[in-house]
Amino acid sequence: MSTDLADLLHDTTVLHRFVDFLEGYCKEHESSKTYPDSSGEFFGYVRRLSAGIKEQLPRQIRLARKFPHRLPTLRSGILALKQYLRILHALVKPATDAHALTIPAPLIDLASEQLRAVDAMSGTQVVVLLASELMYFQWPHTQIKLQATLVQEFIPRAVLPPKLGFIELPYSQGPSFFTNLNIYHEIGHVVYEELAGSSRPNPHFVRLKSSISRWLTLALPSRNRDPQSIAVALRIVENWTQEIFCDLFAIKLIGPAFSLSFIEMLGMLGYLSRSSSIRFNPTHPAPAFRLAEHLRSLSDDGWWEAIHDTNCEQKRTLAKLAAIPSSSYRFYIDEKKPGLQAFVINFLETVAPAIRSLVSEVTRNASCSASQFSTDRVIINKCLVAGVVPHNPGGSALTPVSIINSSLLFYLTSIAELIRHFEKSNERVTVEIYSKWMKRVEAWTIKAIDDSRLYAQLVENRRAKA
Amino acid sequence: MILSQRQILDRLRKYTVGSPKSLVITPLIYDKIGDVFDADSVDLRLGNYFLLPRVLDQPYFSPDKTSSTTLHDRVHVPLGEYLVVPAHQTVLGATLEFIKLPSDVSGQVLTKSSVARTFIVVETAPWIHPQYRGCLTLEIANVSNTPVLLYPGRTICQLVLMSLKDEPKSTKGVTGERKHKDDEPEANYFGPVYPEAPKFRNPEDDLLKLGIERVSSLKKIDLVRAGNRWIEE
Repeated sequence: MSTDLADLLHDTTVLHRFVDFLEGYCKEHESSKTYPDSSGEFFGYVRRLSAGIKEQLPRQIRLARKFPHRLPTLRSGILALKQYLRILHALVKPATDAHALTIPAPLIDLASEQLRAVDAMSGTQVVVLLASELMYFQWPHTQIKLQATLVQEFIPRAVLPPKLGFIELPYSQGPSFFTNLNIYHEIGHVVYEELAGSSRPNPHFVRLKSSISRWLTLALPSRNRDPQSIAVALRIVENWTQEIFCDLFAIKLIGPAFSLSFIEMLGMLGYLSRSSSIRFNPTHPAPAFRLAEHLRSLSDDGWWEAIHDTNCEQKRTLAKLAAIPSSSYRFYIDEKKPGLQAFVINFLETVAPAIRSLVSEVTRNASCSASQFSTDRVIINKCLVAGVVPHNPGGSALTPVSIINSSLLFYLTSIAELIRHFEKSNERVTVEIYSKWMKRVEAWTIKAIDDSRLYAQLVENRRAKA
Repeated sequence: MILSQRQILDRLRKYTVGSPKSLVITPLIYDKIGDVFDADSVDLRLGNYFLLPRVLDQPYFSPDKTSSTTLHDRVHVPLGEYLVVPAHQTVLGATLEFIKLPSDVSGQVLTKSSVARTFIVVETAPWIHPQYRGCLTLEIANVSNTPVLLYPGRTICQLVLMSLKDEPKSTKGVTGERKHKDDEPEANYFGPVYPEAPKFRNPEDDLLKLGIERVSSLKKIDLVRAGNRWIEE
């Protein structure tokens, strides 16, 4: 055997052992745990891909023996496969960690359902990953899709499910229901990425892109328009655009519950002091500006009025930070150099309006209703204060968005009332007792969402039968 | 007096959820009343979550403070899937329905006769006190010689309700809502939506109340080698 062929054989065997493990790993987890459908599809894809690669590898050796001159090509093919498998390898483990007992599965299912109702997003699925960082992320999927298409030529039966998004939750927050409402923002990133990569661009998205070009001419003086500065400036404005798009998208889908849980998250990360709330950075707009946009959207859709009687710290923080005048916003790339106020001012005036119209357009079939919430909230509060899972006896089923918003507001304002009502002890409420009742409200909320989806499915089945 | 179908329906429909007289069963899924209501009972369905007994690393089980975390593994079975209960094995499940009993009504959970004839026994502690809230934890035992499949969403037991002759003069807060008399802080079993592992205090704490001053316990001992001898660590 020539040295080159022996090297190829070794390389191929190493890859074979790798995919053999990956195949078994996916199979084992799929059969021992319950996952959202999207994760199941993803594992199925990795399994089929691994099995396909295992079948193909002996063929590579046969080809190399027969046509030694093709050895370099065969080796580069194997290298490309390895690079792709490296990405999948990074995704599979956190996806297997995110099973039904470690994530709020009903919320994920609900969010995926709402996502599919968004313009041009039908068929989209979200794979949840449990990450080690205390942050929510969306894993860009365009590159994975491109590589999957290339690999499919090699393994035809390994077809990556179309429109598969990947979202990371911090593993510590996995079971926490309300904190995980932040995933709606990350789902916004999935939508934005799909919009950006669409072969038939949404006209409002095209308009947004033109507003970004206009922003560039206004924000970057012509003397500074060298290719590198333009690239940096575009990267910054693209980041800000996506963040605002995702915030507004989340609010359209679940209303104020997103803003309030977002503020809880910002508080946990320490971004709510006045000095840090007015600072834009290259990846994110200032929290104060984001919250001003939240408030505008909530007011426009009637949500702010619908929760006017709620008095909780998160709502007060929202109002306080949103009221900071835009002239106070600051942006520095380098602290030693003057601030780039033109970036901020022109973003507010030129790009933000285009983001708002794009969000309204894409969510027109998926946005939620504040008026339904106002009706449902009375019923939900009565249930929760009585220590009962929210339901509407004899009436129409409660909507999941009403359940989420009402329960979150109850969670933020009325846990003490619930404790007073049910704890026999008159001793001071301890953190343990408070936490126990918070968990109960979360559990009742999850149960109510599960039940509401079960009712919806029943209605759908009856309608189909009729 | 056992509540009739009409009385059960009245309790479900006539009172607001906060009323002490109200009965809650949610979700209550049926096409026709007869699908889940009998003349004197309501059928309840099996929920999606289970606690499976764990193989212990000790040769005995002692009901004490650690038992709620060491005894079981939690499992989720989605609707449409099944759980296999091996012959002569037990699992803890829960009803799909969350219930709230009125302050003047007790309940009893019984295995549905069709289920019982497969030698699946549901509930060995079937009494439910007035005002109980939560999905009912079901102690499910397969006493047959063959494995049996359990499908979440299928009816598995029936709830019989009985009115109290005298309404309790004062409710004990959550105290009155306990399903089992275990003298634990009563709020422990309040409002569960998943099957609940048993919660115990340490036996010595319970027995102290009876004035017992010496309690034996089985203790796991680790031995370490000291030269040619083994000593307790």
